[in-house]
Amino acid sequence: MEKITRREALKKVYGAIIATGAASFLSFDDLLAADKYVDKRLNLVWLHGSSCSGCSCSFLDIEYVPVLDILSRFANVIFHPDLSLATGDQVTGILDQVVDSDLDYLLVVEGSTPVGMPHACLMGHKPFVEWVVPMAKRATACVAAGTCSVFGGVTRMNGMQTGVQTLPELLAAQNIAKPLVSLPGCPMKPEHLVYTLLHYAMKGTLPELDLQHRPIHFFGRTIHERCNYYADFQEKHYARYIGDSGCLINLGCQGVVTRSDCMINGHNNNTSTCIKAGHPCVGCASEHFPRQIMLHRHDDPRVIKRKF
Amino acid sequence: MRRVVIDPVTRIEGHLRVETHMDGRIVTDARCSGDMFRGIEKALIGYDARVAQQVTQRVCGVCPYAHAEAAALALEQAMGLRPNENGQLLRNLIVGAYQLQDHLLHFYVLSALDFVDITAILKYHGNDAGLNTLRDWVRSELDSGKIFPAAPFLPRYEGVYAKDQELNISAIKGYLDAIPIMADLHKMVAVFGAKAPHPVAIEAGGVTTLPTIDRINKYKTWLAGVGHFIRNQYRNDLLGVASVFPTYFNEGKGPGNFLTFPYFPDSSGENHAFVGGATLGGNYQALDLSRITEDHTHSWYRNEPSSGLKPLQSTTLQPLDWDEYQQEIARKDGKYSWTRAPRYGGEVMEVGPAARVINTYRSGQHDDFNRQIDGINRELNIGLGEYDSVMGRHLSRLICSLQILERLEAQLHEVQPDKSAFIEQDMPKNMRGYGLTEATRGALGHWIETHDKGYISNYEMIVPTTWNMSPRDAAGRPGAVEQMLIGTQVADPEQPLELARIVRSTDPCMACSVH
Repeated sequence: MEKITRREALKKVYGAIIATGAASFLSFDDLLAADKYVDKRLNLVWLHGSSCSGCSCSFLDIEYVPVLDILSRFANVIFHPDLSLATGDQVTGILDQVVDSDLDYLLVVEGSTPVGMPHACLMGHKPFVEWVVPMAKRATACVAAGTCSVFGGVTRMNGMQTGVQTLPELLAAQNIAKPLVSLPGCPMKPEHLVYTLLHYAMKGTLPELDLQHRPIHFFGRTIHERCNYYADFQEKHYARYIGDSGCLINLGCQGVVTRSDCMINGHNNNTSTCIKAGHPCVGCASEHFPRQIMLHRHDDPRVIKRKF
Repeated sequence: MRRVVIDPVTRIEGHLRVETHMDGRIVTDARCSGDMFRGIEKALIGYDARVAQQVTQRVCGVCPYAHAEAAALALEQAMGLRPNENGQLLRNLIVGAYQLQDHLLHFYVLSALDFVDITAILKYHGNDAGLNTLRDWVRSELDSGKIFPAAPFLPRYEGVYAKDQELNISAIKGYLDAIPIMADLHKMVAVFGAKAPHPVAIEAGGVTTLPTIDRINKYKTWLAGVGHFIRNQYRNDLLGVASVFPTYFNEGKGPGNFLTFPYFPDSSGENHAFVGGATLGGNYQALDLSRITEDHTHSWYRNEPSSGLKPLQSTTLQPLDWDEYQQEIARKDGKYSWTRAPRYGGEVMEVGPAARVINTYRSGQHDDFNRQIDGINRELNIGLGEYDSVMGRHLSRLICSLQILERLEAQLHEVQPDKSAFIEQDMPKNMRGYGLTEATRGALGHWIETHDKGYISNYEMIVPTTWNMSPRDAAGRPGAVEQMLIGTQVADPEQPLELARIVRSTDPCMACSVH
């Protein structure tokens, strides 16, 4: 009886695996046997730099998964700031112990690292940079979770004084050569991380990446190339106001310069996308985010500047 | 005298350090440090007015919707514009669903396991597949000899956890089941708001999404499941925890002053479910925004003057550099937080769900609401005074959730299918406006000024956790959470579980508080 209900429960989990596109390397039989793959479980350490926890909240939304179910099968979450019961000295003790151990682990960094103002992000009375550097040096591989960690995002908008480094920049500056996956998006999409984790757990390698370390599986094409309004764009049929029909490019749509899989996999289990919600893409997964004007009236004469 | 520090405080949003001094086992002094600074409000200068909606959401990935709403309201005030009925209703449906998600996140993921005993799963003998999987996993972890067995559930502060096995198992099941319910609530946000976190579709003028029948029906389907979970599982687990920890209706008392902004209107944008105002010295009074000031005497900024600043009075906020920061933390009574200290008529205020319940009740504007509170109080044998406590804050989240749930169910039926929810109107230049709402964690205000090209020339946010987690002000008065901690008795200063429970009862959002 219990076996059958467990099988039923795992069917739901497998639905999520299919949704992330990971079914190509992970069969249902693999999943059923996963309890026995104790040696394949990834150790995971998740840190918050200059961030808003949006990527962590997004991660909890992974559809139908009993997130903890997947975690207990495929990963050991050694530390996550929002999930761990460990508090205070217990946390700094765990992190110190991880750095001193010979444990293989994957480091997920949400947010950027303020190096210009190290005191702009503190943990355990130490600048965040003093945590992330030793943790990254010892990690087997690193994941830059979300636009702040990948490109700087809001933490590098015009007028910011904190002098942030992205995770790729930090690793380069510190001469830390580690396999790195960048998962931009504000927030990061949970499917992107789960796919990456499953790929790494099952195949022992990272998925195929582009020059900016993004999985080609998700970031190979721009939003524009797969847009519902692509035909309207080709016919030069442009919307002039919110609610008008046609391509949203004259309203400031950033789909042309933003790579992500929004138009295929959507947000929140494909419930919607910004463009389907009648709003131009704000380019949250791009290196240009946030832009000076996001919702641009078709007759707005202002020129969008990068620095002001 | 001994010093007890909790750093980092986990299972909250962001970076928080709590430092206390104890005489024996009683806290005599407490300091809360907001440990992350970005400077988003002043960095907005030079961006288009409508960008405020998208960027201020990124202040917080847990309650972004409230910043979107406050930013849109500020622009609408300047535009002299009210959304149409569909615009207001869709905004409420987005905001309300997000707030329910946030309350469930706070109770189950962030704070329940401070009361509920996770190790009770080892004694589980039922036939629930999820619970059996969890039990077998925890058991194999504990037997494995690994260095971090059963993480992220262990280690934890050891102390007195619930002994009622039925309650423990129910709440652990609630934890597992709440996560997909929270994902459904985020889908309800996304169906009208485009995505969650960070819904883009709330703009000044309404909501850009067209409410098709398909979207309305999807929302309705998810809402039914959510309603069932909140009215049964969440209600039972929360009241269960309250019944086995009755002393927590007396722990964590704050300043006793409560501030709220009007929240959750009907389709006309009026008749808010929760009343704005202030309770000072036990008396309710109407909201007076001119009494709000900010102070950064003990915050890591160098601008002068450092107190009595009204919203938008400063266009700059100069953070201390590394050397100045080092000097301040070494100095006795130096600056100790990135969070500033807002005050109302000079008073320290608590904001949040308990403030919403207390102010709405004391205002006497909603008879039905007051009758409901009276009923709950009789059932639990408490009075309104007990809402100023750890358990009172948890209970208030349940009460607020039930109120919002009822309104979502009613307002969904008022949406007119296939009718636009957005009004396009020219954005005035050289304008000034403010927007007020209640985020999950309490009163939220945005103030905006633009110049002659429509770009932002000044921006100010006064955020719920800034009120709650404020440091001392120029007069030396501790902030609200600092006051809640002072006087608390701790069983084991090495594992100050009682202090963690108090801090988490306010649902801190540190990224918001500093921004």
